[in-house]
Amino acid sequence: MSELAYLDVASASALLRSKKLSPVEYARALIERVEKLDRNLNAFLRFTPDLALEDARKAEAEITRGQWRGTWHGVPYALKDIVDYAGLPTTAHSKILRDNVARADAAVTQRLRGAGAIFMGKLSTHEFAIGGPSFDLPWPPARNPWNRDHFSGGSSSGSGAATAAGFVPAAIGTDTGGSVRNPASMCGIVGLKPTYGLVSRRGVVPLSFSLDHVGTMTRNVRDNALMLDLIAGHDPADPGSANHASGGYTAQLDRDIKGLRIGVIRHFYTRDMQADPEMAQGIEHALAELARLGAEVREITTAPLDDYVACNRTILTGEAFAIHEQWMRERPQDYGALARERLMAGAFVRAADYVNATRLRRKLTEQFHACFAEVDVVVTLSSMDPACRIDDPKAVEYTYARQSRAPFNVTGSPALSVPTGFSSAGLPLSMQLVGRPFSEALIYRVAHAYERATRWHERRPPLEV
Amino acid sequence: MTESVLTLDQVRAMAADLRLDRFNDAQLEELTRATNAARARRAKLGIERLSLADEPAHVFRLDDEEPV
Repeated sequence: MSELAYLDVASASALLRSKKLSPVEYARALIERVEKLDRNLNAFLRFTPDLALEDARKAEAEITRGQWRGTWHGVPYALKDIVDYAGLPTTAHSKILRDNVARADAAVTQRLRGAGAIFMGKLSTHEFAIGGPSFDLPWPPARNPWNRDHFSGGSSSGSGAATAAGFVPAAIGTDTGGSVRNPASMCGIVGLKPTYGLVSRRGVVPLSFSLDHVGTMTRNVRDNALMLDLIAGHDPADPGSANHASGGYTAQLDRDIKGLRIGVIRHFYTRDMQADPEMAQGIEHALAELARLGAEVREITTAPLDDYVACNRTILTGEAFAIHEQWMRERPQDYGALARERLMAGAFVRAADYVNATRLRRKLTEQFHACFAEVDVVVTLSSMDPACRIDDPKAVEYTYARQSRAPFNVTGSPALSVPTGFSSAGLPLSMQLVGRPFSEALIYRVAHAYERATRWHERRPPLEV
Repeated sequence: MTESVLTLDQVRAMAADLRLDRFNDAQLEELTRATNAARARRAKLGIERLSLADEPAHVFRLDDEEPV
């Protein structure tokens, strides 16, 4: 079962195309795995094996007839449950939207279904992508496959857990202040927050219109690039969608990184915050590896982390409260306590503060983008700490805020979380690669070179022991 | 800019102004914590660095083909 569970997308696709692997056999193996193991992880909020087998039978018939649709034909995936799949509820992991049946597919769902991918179900999230991990909601929170007593990160918590656990090779997450990259960090997988506007948000429950991104979560860099190839592109129905060329994200993967200039923002995790020593050691070893591979690593500085975080949170909470105000008036008791408190922070954000935060956003963005006159890719930490225990609310609250992901929601830059090893307790460590807008292919190239050299992505969580 | 910490009664009155009047006491405590945290963040916004001409990051702009 493990062999199929941990197939990467590129290998699975080759086997499916050559008919050496049946989509039905593949889907059945993953269904059995979810049925056996997810009771301990809660990655799926709504597991849909019947739909998966229906998709798989259709894919098998098409491939048998020679109607291969491309890389994703017959490959399983799952969606964070704030992303619409027509005919199924999109609950946002909340009692409030428990019966919110989607009338149409989200843009990313359309792309995946159109490519013949196999839908496995809807994944746990923090309530409305902001409040969690919570134990006072209709569904339990996802747990970390590396140690189920630990947090899987969030808010795309089920997406991280399901991908790391070998339930799916790829999942869709969303990221407003770090919600793809946090679970990617905690679960030891690869998570991309693309450039703002590169992937359509149509059909996704909003948290903060100007900070929301739809992202890709996979076990390796190539699979991530393949998923972005499929879902990136202009969508006139999303007002934030960028009318920019997309695709070709695997094109640079096999190139080396000799001579590339890598800027490290060390002050985020040494001065602005003090990272956990093992996490800091992980990124320093990774930087040494990148230098060994031929990159020129130099230290750069940008605005203090607090400036970005204050800007992100003012905009996020102001926009989020605008969305939630009516429910807060009428149904405050139907939120979990964590989401309610985090959303309430926007109740009294003054218009002047919101506007000033967006004015600062422009300045911070211009300042950060100016870094790229000197460097090609920026590296910094994603999480300051490995995953804490999920049943320790103080530790969750403390570590949740200890991150340097929010700056890149403010700037809209593409940012990729990749594994850098494991702590002494066996929990994943990570770093973050950031680039100019729309430079995802270059980020993937650097990440892939590092991944090939270190092979952290080949380790598996101890689920079947 | 130093912000004073709001009391539960102050927040209750502010909430009532917004017609957020179904909160129980525990929820009002949450709102008080959240509001004080938001005010502390506001103090870190660094608006002293803005000049008069600094525009917001998203400025409304009509498309070229939009009828005038």
